[in-house]
Amino acid sequence: MRGTLIFSGSSCPALTGKVCENLGMTPADAELTQFSNGETSVRILTSVREKDVFVVQSGSPKINDTIMELLIMISACKGGSASKITAVLPYFPYSRQSKKKSHRGAITARMLANLLGVAGVKHIITVDLHASQMQGFFKCPVDNLHAEPLIARWIRQNVPDWKEAVVVSKNAGGTKRVTSLADALKLNFGMVTTDKKRGNGNMTGSMILNPIDAVLDPIGEQVIEAVESEEIPTSNITQPVAGAASPARRPHGSSLHSAKSLPSRLRSSTLALDGVDEEGEDGLEYNDQRVHEVTQARLVHGHIVPDDFESPAVSTATSVAGDDPMTMSYASLHSQHHAALGGSGDAAESSDEDEEILKDPKVEHMVTLVGDVKNRTVFIVDDMIDKPGSWIAAAETVVKRGLAKKVYCIATHAVFGADCLEQLQDCDSIHHILVTNSYPIPEEKARNATKLHVLDLSYLLAEAIRRNHYGESISPLFQHIME
Amino acid sequence: MSGEMANEIKLISGRSHPELSEKVAKRLGIEVARTISLNYSNQETSFTVGESVRDEDVFIIQSTATGDVNEGLMELLIAISACRTASARRITAVIPNFPYARQDKKDKSRAPISARLVANMLQTAGANHIVTVDLHASQIQGFFSVPVDNLYAEPSFLRYIRENYKAEDCVIVSPDAGGAKRATSIADHLNTGFALIHKERPRPNVVGRMVLVGNVEDKIAILVDDMADTCGTLCKAASVLKENGAKAVLALVTHGILSGNAIENLNGSVLEALICTNTVPLGDKIERCPKIRAIDISPTIAEAIRRTHNGESVSYLFNHAPV
Repeated sequence: MRGTLIFSGSSCPALTGKVCENLGMTPADAELTQFSNGETSVRILTSVREKDVFVVQSGSPKINDTIMELLIMISACKGGSASKITAVLPYFPYSRQSKKKSHRGAITARMLANLLGVAGVKHIITVDLHASQMQGFFKCPVDNLHAEPLIARWIRQNVPDWKEAVVVSKNAGGTKRVTSLADALKLNFGMVTTDKKRGNGNMTGSMILNPIDAVLDPIGEQVIEAVESEEIPTSNITQPVAGAASPARRPHGSSLHSAKSLPSRLRSSTLALDGVDEEGEDGLEYNDQRVHEVTQARLVHGHIVPDDFESPAVSTATSVAGDDPMTMSYASLHSQHHAALGGSGDAAESSDEDEEILKDPKVEHMVTLVGDVKNRTVFIVDDMIDKPGSWIAAAETVVKRGLAKKVYCIATHAVFGADCLEQLQDCDSIHHILVTNSYPIPEEKARNATKLHVLDLSYLLAEAIRRNHYGESISPLFQHIME
Repeated sequence: MSGEMANEIKLISGRSHPELSEKVAKRLGIEVARTISLNYSNQETSFTVGESVRDEDVFIIQSTATGDVNEGLMELLIAISACRTASARRITAVIPNFPYARQDKKDKSRAPISARLVANMLQTAGANHIVTVDLHASQIQGFFSVPVDNLYAEPSFLRYIRENYKAEDCVIVSPDAGGAKRATSIADHLNTGFALIHKERPRPNVVGRMVLVGNVEDKIAILVDDMADTCGTLCKAASVLKENGAKAVLALVTHGILSGNAIENLNGSVLEALICTNTVPLGDKIERCPKIRAIDISPTIAEAIRRTHNGESVSYLFNHAPV
């Protein structure tokens, strides 16, 4: 491309090389070093006067150095009279600090946006921003590309039974992302939430298996409380099975209500079921509102409970099965195995999983699964993989409790903090990890990760650069490629 | 921004130089504000102010430790941004050792003026005022559109020399032509002689041939500079001075950055002592090199903070070192 220069930051020479290859050019010459006192030194070794300059920089373990390098490169190009400078940030650093989380915390992502503007950026190209609202932090235009079409295509081509798969979000905040992929592939979706706050003391994991399309009697709001105690007479809790929803519910509710009087140290789980979904068979009708209501219910989920030893008695509260077997909640299925709804069955199971607990004592969340994943392939989707805990918890939930067949962990940004990749690789419940090369993955890490599949973003980025340079529309890049 | 309501100094410390912040706080008779600063597993910095700064006069002290310049700078920017978001009345960044100060001009084609970039970044983050010590070039003040108080270590140096040496035995030496002004100023105050070493510098941090201009025979030669980085220049200058008959050679620098193999250079040199202020955290370098002596700069910084807060003149500090 005439009049264009693409500079590579030190974080992602490989990706930039591929982008340039796609465009039939070579990366522009720049010398990136550090002075002995740690200050970043940048030397632009080719003329940038009146050129359309693109600077590609991703994240790295030395993220602040990477950012400074990017800012100085931009500043140097601006000082060198470049006509336009575009920052290409496949992974936008500090994107998770995009809101004021605590009192007097900083909105660092906004600050970084301002810093880029100050350095002299006229345009930003990025991929899958953690929150698309961040585009509003910039005064300059932002092209937020999506890796989703690439991911969807990979799934269509490489997952044998993808049409039967379920897309699962591992937290409530990421549900939107998940529904987008589910829509693209026309798949059902589910949700796993990990609730950190409630993991106090007992750190009991619970799982709710709410059928995506459970049909409930118009009983308004029914609250079912499950209390962790072996004293709960489990025998009188009728197991809700498919087709027996209505009669099953009454004793269920009543017996659990009686448990309310149990000592308060026992954590109680509440299930509030509200309203009726007449269109039970239509998974798409399962809206966010509904999910929100249902997540109040919890099932104790043994294997990610760190201190099950201390409270071996864990109970299972279930949601109510619908008429359609396909929409029956997992909880019901699960409790069928134990022939009871109460805690005893679960307690036995949790003690079986002590090893698991010891293996990963840090996970201290209550896990809630919403959706039917039995015998299906599950795609757990989020925008980035940084810490392994929630992925492993979600994967174990869908495999061990949801009886999913295969689990794909899918994310755009493979940040892989600390030994994350190793832990995911070692997790038996995770069968494949699908990421893109937006964030550089160290060779030696990738070599040992047999489950890892890395999608190449260079074509997407190259096309975005090309279209930007020639003033063509970017929108086609958002569209799914249909075979 | 002097409002009706009385507001207080909130002293916030970055992680780069907590000792200096403690000393400043002690001098001001206040506590360093509680903050939580940490790095996530992906090394992104997070900063949270642990107490209210609403409508307070916030001073954030952050130096830049060797090797962690970018970490320290980002932490400072995030801290400023956090205070700005938390409705602080005024935010003053106290940066004793201004980072990237040496990248202050376009000396080659397309060289970045990183010092200006840092200045713009600080203002973008929300700094209303900058306090720093001995800027490498005073022109850096012009990179800011907010007030910059450039404090001097010179009064502290003068006192140190007067207390430890006889001024008439000394000769002040500038290790390069650019620092001549700094050296002559000290020589004038002490009423002593002055010399200059001219050097050829082929590349940064590499020292070429050196020529002495002036007489140092049988004198205590005191090399004066604003920063000592790898100390290559200083050590070479010291041997040139020795060769020219100096009785002893000292070095007086404001910022003891001491990166790379500075300690080895110092230990192996004829330099008798390197006297620097504690604008940069020295860490264990004093133990590793007995030649390093530190002058405490915290009284000057504390006084500048007090005067800035109370709206008093800071110029007194340009000629006097608070005791």
